[in-house]
Amino acid sequence: MYTLLIKQFVLSKTVLFSFLLLFTIGLISILIGKQFLIKQEKTIEAVTEQQEQHIARNVSFHQNDLGLLLYYVRFALINTPERLSALSIGQRDVNPSIQSVTIRNLEGQKYDTDLNNPSNLQAGNLDFGFVIIYLYPLLIIALTFNLLSEEVEKGTWRLVAIQSVSKGLFLVKKLSIRALLTYISFFILFLLAAFIVAIPLTEALVVFFLLSLLYLTFWFVLSFWIISFQQSSSFNALALLALWVFLAIMLPAGVNNFLANKYPVPEALSTMVQQRDGYHKKWDMEKEGTMNKFYAHYPQFKKYTLPHQGFSWLWYYAMQQMGDDEALEQSIAMSEKIRQREKVSRWVAWAVPTMHTQLQFNDIAQTSLQNYIRFLNKTNEFHEKIRLYFYPKIFENAPVLDEDWKSFTPEYVRGEYSISWLHVFAPLILIISPILVFSIYNIRRI
Amino acid sequence: MQKKGVLLIAKQFWANTFKIKSVYLLFVIISMLFIYATYSGWKNYIVQNDIRLHFQEKVRQSWEENPDKHPHRMAHFGSFAFRLKHPLSMFDFGMESFTGNAVFLEAHKQNTVNFSEASFSTGLLRFGEISMAMVLQVILPLLIFFLGFASVASDKENGTLKIMLIQGVSWNEILLGRSLGLFGCALVFFFPIMLVTVFLLLLSKDNLFTQEVILRYIGICISYVIFYQVICMVTVWISATSKTSKDSLVKLLAIWLGFFILLPKTTQALGNYFFESPSKIEFEAAIEKELIQEGDSHDPDDPHFQALKDSLLQAHKVSSVEQLPFNYSGFVMREGEKISTAVYNRHLGKLFQTYQKQNNLSRLIAFINPYLAIKAISMSFSGSDFSAYVDFQKQAETYRYQLAQEMNELQIKYISNKKLGPNDVPYSISKKHWEEFPDFRHQFVSMGTIISREGSSIIALLVWSICSIGFIVSQSRKLKAI
Repeated sequence: MYTLLIKQFVLSKTVLFSFLLLFTIGLISILIGKQFLIKQEKTIEAVTEQQEQHIARNVSFHQNDLGLLLYYVRFALINTPERLSALSIGQRDVNPSIQSVTIRNLEGQKYDTDLNNPSNLQAGNLDFGFVIIYLYPLLIIALTFNLLSEEVEKGTWRLVAIQSVSKGLFLVKKLSIRALLTYISFFILFLLAAFIVAIPLTEALVVFFLLSLLYLTFWFVLSFWIISFQQSSSFNALALLALWVFLAIMLPAGVNNFLANKYPVPEALSTMVQQRDGYHKKWDMEKEGTMNKFYAHYPQFKKYTLPHQGFSWLWYYAMQQMGDDEALEQSIAMSEKIRQREKVSRWVAWAVPTMHTQLQFNDIAQTSLQNYIRFLNKTNEFHEKIRLYFYPKIFENAPVLDEDWKSFTPEYVRGEYSISWLHVFAPLILIISPILVFSIYNIRRI
Repeated sequence: MQKKGVLLIAKQFWANTFKIKSVYLLFVIISMLFIYATYSGWKNYIVQNDIRLHFQEKVRQSWEENPDKHPHRMAHFGSFAFRLKHPLSMFDFGMESFTGNAVFLEAHKQNTVNFSEASFSTGLLRFGEISMAMVLQVILPLLIFFLGFASVASDKENGTLKIMLIQGVSWNEILLGRSLGLFGCALVFFFPIMLVTVFLLLLSKDNLFTQEVILRYIGICISYVIFYQVICMVTVWISATSKTSKDSLVKLLAIWLGFFILLPKTTQALGNYFFESPSKIEFEAAIEKELIQEGDSHDPDDPHFQALKDSLLQAHKVSSVEQLPFNYSGFVMREGEKISTAVYNRHLGKLFQTYQKQNNLSRLIAFINPYLAIKAISMSFSGSDFSAYVDFQKQAETYRYQLAQEMNELQIKYISNKKLGPNDVPYSISKKHWEEFPDFRHQFVSMGTIISREGSSIIALLVWSICSIGFIVSQSRKLKAI
């Protein structure tokens, strides 16, 4: 009987069309992800080359003045993209993966954005994650919504009822064929993705794959539950589509609205203004006050004192430091706001499979907001490291050419995301189980 | 075809629709969605604009508080531009969340516009936002499909269609009547929302319902009405060409998914794929390269500025720049700012052209997909589209240029050319000059500009409107009653 059921299913035009459409969009999404990754890699390469030229050029201009040279020179820090990021681009298109900073105050530099076409951002990335989260559920709905009702409406259900041992088992068989073919198609697409993007086989890739399978299973179970109420095809189609609209659009979008209104981030703007005022207004103040604050922050530089008259880089960089120091409070408040947003969305995501899967994809692919915040923190460390290296040299006016400028190549940050299997899988399993129980209960009564 | 017949059929459809209990349930659900969308839009507008206005004032205060000093210090002190939200952006968020809100304006350097809502997003923004416009554009059509999928097909199924045709009702009357009835139902959902929008605009503490806003608002209303006319006719046509109402429903749902979800995203993604835009690094590198060729005022040996210096010395018949009757370094900076700004603007213009090319695919597809047309028109009238953002960026850049050049002029005019010794008091000019320099204020574009920019989308929508009527009237004879 299985072969007959398979034949009946595969020969349907709608089924073929749905699979073909999904396959095409799936391929497009993989290519888009690959293009994204290539662009990032090209940029990283360009940065490396550019930094070398940029430093050489500026060194040739300002050979006698280390303080002035370091006013101009930029040092790059790169948030290395994982290959898996091609499948779930996440926030990586909005937030830059490269910081290129001078040793001047950092708060005025580190929030600079990438160049983006807002229309593209608004439309969102058509990455493989989108295909899994949005489109596969639609395929599943299209394949299953009339699983039972079709038989009833065509009048074949009575025949089935007489001929099969268990009507429930017959439905499960029909459903399993659809599930199997869906999983196979997904597996093929996933293999293609892994192959085209050349993603190494790591724990992250396996978890990404398993999470996708579990997510698809969620939709099969949900669909099966709706079917088990034995309503008409029209009712099932509408109910399932309504659920999809609710889970994939309304609920996450509603939560997003809520977050944006509940946690606006004026701290970002005050950080921006504060860092400017913190530094610039020092030009009009007594040098002593600035220097005392600077020595308080970095006591190790107390041995360097200002000359009695004229301009000195010690004073200049102390003023720059004040920009960061005085914006610190606002900057921390901003991070706190963002942390609250993270907390709430993760909390809600436990109960909403679409949101959970999206956030987990981004975590696994290291394209999440959290990953970016971590990168910003690493930028702080990177900036301080460079400053503390150069400060004494500037204050002593060390000769520019004594420095090995060629050794200043871009530095890399690698993600240190450790995957918690429980966090990734538990929410979906907890949601799937009761729905499955209810469906089986309903089906047994048929 | 009789007008009376059409109206009768429309009335009958209307009456039947409101006999179904689930319609009221839908009305309640949609209303709740609307209340949420309205509240979020309004609140976001108030909160964000308050924040931005507050900071715009604060930075102005900070600017004016500066004591007497050298004007070039002020050029580096700089200022900020904050992007204001258009009052109608509470109706349609458009790209608001994806565009930066604040930019630091200083001499020598064009900074990026930072702190978009998207940059603080945890990833949920990818699922979209619920705005009044989103509900009107995406959810209401789905509702229309639901109300209208059986409009003709069910009559076919139960045989009443044959009876009607035998009694002398024409296909045209049936199709137009049902479309009109469905259209009426759609407007029942549409008008309350537009009324609420008016109230919100009127009730805000500073009257937002200015003449400009009224014009935009009327533009929005007309566009949506045309859009629903198209949607209703498509619905009735699909229903009339389907054998059963189930077929009709499945087809309409497929159309909704294809036209409202899949196609828009795919189109934009393909536009982005085909017209690759430069990364920031490439963009900056290209500018730097060109600047080195044209003249870099920060390079002490730059040939352009060497030549400028020589010609100045010759013209004024002096042997060193210190003998010039005006401040030489101010003069050099003015020239440098002019060159670097021109180079930057040229590259930025090119970048925007690339973005436009990416967006043009969606504009073109609007002739196939009316949803894309209404989306573009709605955003544009609401001041939350791509061009509105570009306008802001241009205004901010113009202000930055003026600020830098004004400070250079002051330096050229008032600062002595003599180099100071280490014991001299630094040169400075009176702080009244800071107050004289005007504040930045983000201005919105006029209605005429919007219409000319969105011309193609408006035409696309009109083409759909006319063609859908023409199509139904001319093709209805070929329909079958069974």
